[in-house]
Amino acid sequence: MSDADEPTRYRRMQDLPSTHLLGSGTSLCAGCGGLGAFRELYEVLGERTVVVNAAGCMSLLATHPFTPFRGSWLYSAMASAPAGAQGVRDALDILIAKRRIPADEDLDVVVLTGDGAASGMGLSATSAAIDRGLDFIYLCYDNEGYGNTGQQSSASTPHGARTATDRGPRGYPGVKKDLFALWVANRPAYAATIIAAEPVDLARKVEKAKRMKGPRLLLALAPCPPGWGFDPKDSIEIGRLAVRTGVWPLLEYADGRVVRTKHYEPRLPVERYLERQRRFAHLFEPRRDEQTLAAIQTAVDEACARVT
Amino acid sequence: MSRVLLSGNAAIAWGARLAGVDYVPAFPITPQTEIIETLAGWIGSNELDARTVMFESEHSMLTAAGAAASTGVRVFTATSSQGLLYAMEMLYSVAGWRAPFVLVNVSRAVAAPVTLHSDHGDVLAARDSGFLQLHAATCQEALDLVLLGYRTAEHPDVRLPALVNLDGFLLSFTREPVELPDPELARRFVGAFEPGASAFRASRPVSQAVAVLGGGPYSYFRYEMHRASEHAGTVFADAAIELEAATGRANDAVECYRSDDAEVVFFLIGSLSTTAKDAVDRLRESGTRAGLVRPRLLRPFPTAALRSALHGRRAVAVVDQDLSIGSGGVLHAELAGALHGQAGAPLLASFIGGLGGRRVGVDELCSISGEALEAASAGRPPAPRLLYTEAELREVRKLQAIAHEERHR
Amino acid sequence: MYRIRLHGRGGQGIQTGARILASALFVEGFETQDSPLYGAERRGAPVSATVRAARAPIRERGLPARADLIAVGDESLLGVAAAGVLRDADERSWLLIRSGVAAEIWRSRLGRSERVATFALEVEEGAELPLVGAACAGAAARMLGVVSRASLESALERELAALSAQARAASAARAFAAWDELAALAGCVTEEPAPIGAPLPRPDWVDVPLDPADVAAPDIRVPLTSVQVRTGLWRTLRPVIDDALCRRCSWLCSSFCPDGAISIDPDGRPCIDYDHCKGCLVCAAVCPPHAIRVEREAGRATEPEKVG
Repeated sequence: MSDADEPTRYRRMQDLPSTHLLGSGTSLCAGCGGLGAFRELYEVLGERTVVVNAAGCMSLLATHPFTPFRGSWLYSAMASAPAGAQGVRDALDILIAKRRIPADEDLDVVVLTGDGAASGMGLSATSAAIDRGLDFIYLCYDNEGYGNTGQQSSASTPHGARTATDRGPRGYPGVKKDLFALWVANRPAYAATIIAAEPVDLARKVEKAKRMKGPRLLLALAPCPPGWGFDPKDSIEIGRLAVRTGVWPLLEYADGRVVRTKHYEPRLPVERYLERQRRFAHLFEPRRDEQTLAAIQTAVDEACARVT
Repeated sequence: MSRVLLSGNAAIAWGARLAGVDYVPAFPITPQTEIIETLAGWIGSNELDARTVMFESEHSMLTAAGAAASTGVRVFTATSSQGLLYAMEMLYSVAGWRAPFVLVNVSRAVAAPVTLHSDHGDVLAARDSGFLQLHAATCQEALDLVLLGYRTAEHPDVRLPALVNLDGFLLSFTREPVELPDPELARRFVGAFEPGASAFRASRPVSQAVAVLGGGPYSYFRYEMHRASEHAGTVFADAAIELEAATGRANDAVECYRSDDAEVVFFLIGSLSTTAKDAVDRLRESGTRAGLVRPRLLRPFPTAALRSALHGRRAVAVVDQDLSIGSGGVLHAELAGALHGQAGAPLLASFIGGLGGRRVGVDELCSISGEALEAASAGRPPAPRLLYTEAELREVRKLQAIAHEERHR
Repeated sequence: MYRIRLHGRGGQGIQTGARILASALFVEGFETQDSPLYGAERRGAPVSATVRAARAPIRERGLPARADLIAVGDESLLGVAAAGVLRDADERSWLLIRSGVAAEIWRSRLGRSERVATFALEVEEGAELPLVGAACAGAAARMLGVVSRASLESALERELAALSAQARAASAARAFAAWDELAALAGCVTEEPAPIGAPLPRPDWVDVPLDPADVAAPDIRVPLTSVQVRTGLWRTLRPVIDDALCRRCSWLCSSFCPDGAISIDPDGRPCIDYDHCKGCLVCAAVCPPHAIRVEREAGRATEPEKVG
């Protein structure tokens, strides 16, 4: 039995860590779904980590002289956080191999990136890190746009969503890039979709990823109150709806296959998710855009049918 | 110490090997590739106890270089031209991280148009990045400056990355005799890399390269880089004296050749300086008191040494192997800035030569020294001149005739 | 020149208020300037904007050294040193506070003998319209006494053109209500005369020392310093746990708080860290027995700082 197959510590909400490892006082928005996911992840991952941050909302997690981390952090740049992770990983390996530091000074290397960098500028650096088999965890908080600059569309924006750069009646004309599938196609050690609204599922996946080596993706849908247009208090509710409608299926890739880790059957219609967000309001008012609504539902149905 | 025939690229690789580098993030580009291939070969044959990793771009390569140096290993990397420009964001970033390592740039003119040959348009674009900048004139210097680069960059009061530049083809692919320092001597000279208090360790959490809010903190951190760079001049000078004592080779921040009593002085950088020494000797033979003043160190800019070296000279012919489009020669502007308002400062005459590997001959250098002296007599600097001949223009016209269809009609 | 500063919280339309005021002055024939102060502000975080107006071209830029009128859209900010509302108020400055509390009480609280005015405006929490900003603009315009009602109306038309007719009308109504409320103080704010040619003191410049790189790099070597940032100041609504209703489930509110601002005491009781709770109210939304009620923060403004 490999480490990764050890039984989980996280079966119920009560099993989750009760100590908050990430400090409060950061400048992220109230109700941030990305911060929620990252905080939950950090609690499981622990402080023996160095987080290499790509430019995005999380750039300002640490602002001199204030840091929320118990462990380490390096701010790199938008395009090359995985390369920064490679540099730190390689340096630690060298230092330990040459016995310049004891092995217990080692750290887990984590990339923290938004979807804009992950699916755009940073994609080649990410792809290359997977090619090299870099031993790292890659956390993408996917708020489906360039959130830190006011929610312009990114390659991860869903079809039909209004963004600061898609103000027309049909919203974003493209289709959300499937970052999970891109990773899986590169056969990483591990890949999973997570969300703050499902903390037990999240904790189990982080726990599993932590026990493995190689490139590991944790892709978190990050409900964004200002960018998506909903009240901050609904951050968890929106996340739950994303899962229960099948918009954000909770997936896991390991040992060559993709499985669904949590089922909600029957799925709720996607409208229940869409109608709660101002970025989709034009699909309902002044009149219902049946064509787009049907297209979104069909796309979700097809995606859900592809995994068991 | 042994004397062997080495290309500039091989000399650089030897510099990295003798410095005992731990980590070589790499990406290929002509005319630099040979350096990383040589190092990879030694790593493969266990002659060098280091790791090399191929990146997908120079931007990533520089990010990894800075991150690894910030974690506490000795890093070497190399690039050229477009690669340096592609990495430019990270040059500024890693310098701000105060991550010391050596980056070698093998100068190659930047596109467009594309060429493989050398000028300094690439490396001078990096002059405001926070990297120290050292320019080699020979293959021997290329090696020595790598060792001096580590000594200076890693000093606890400096902690800035160093860029060592050598000219593509003219040095990179040119073999000449190079004295290889004794490995033990080199090891002692460079010393062990002592990472500062901020290296990443499980027992010692740190947040590095943190954002600031407001101009006050930003000014402080950037100005500290400037103070550290200025201080690097002293650290470099001390290290150069030590290396000279051990090897007999001088590597002052500014090389002065027959300039003490010169009325006209050439001011230029890189491998062109050996041609300039030829020109100086010829001019001296024909009765003109000529000399050469050539900075090895371009960042920090050795202002005091240059003021002193040029004090009382009548004229300086500045030869830029670069062109700031819409302004002119970069070195000319830098030197003018350093000398402005100085009593006894010479007249400066600006010449652009050597773009894209165009050869600058001794004949041209002799002629421009005359022009500079005439201008000094007239008390008026001449208009900047591109060193370019009628024959070269005729050649371009021929190419255009082929390229432009309408000329055939 | 008139120098006016508007203060409020992210989401209240303070920048829009500054634009309306500047626009009204511009319509009146003034040379004007308006600019928001950008930081890492998020919804609820303190924000400010500056308006200048003069009969001659304006050469000053950036933050003014002092203000003739300081309009405060959110009274709770007066208790917040970091908001800097009163930092450079002097005896010539007028203070305009959106508050249900009378001006004389504010005078006594703030230790000012005069020059404090208030106006009342109830705004539903979470309102997406720039109601507070518009009202501040209307009140400020009246206090300047050099802006006609017609110019204010024209400015509102221009600056709110992107809103729906209904939304425009709602904002304009608030602006005019405040305008009417300040009728008795019309013209109380006067232009500061141009300074006479007194010699300016020499700034106390220092030569920045060369510090060792370990000191002079933007690194943080102490973990968790972010807790020194009191993001609780962003809060406009306060979650309050009703001990009697709380079932001590001891996980939901704490697990889902994106900021990690709810801890569990040894008795299993959740405790909200009000220094850092941003008021997103996710906790209230996810609490199964509805044991977390929501209170308005405005009336709870901490004791304001004394001025002068």
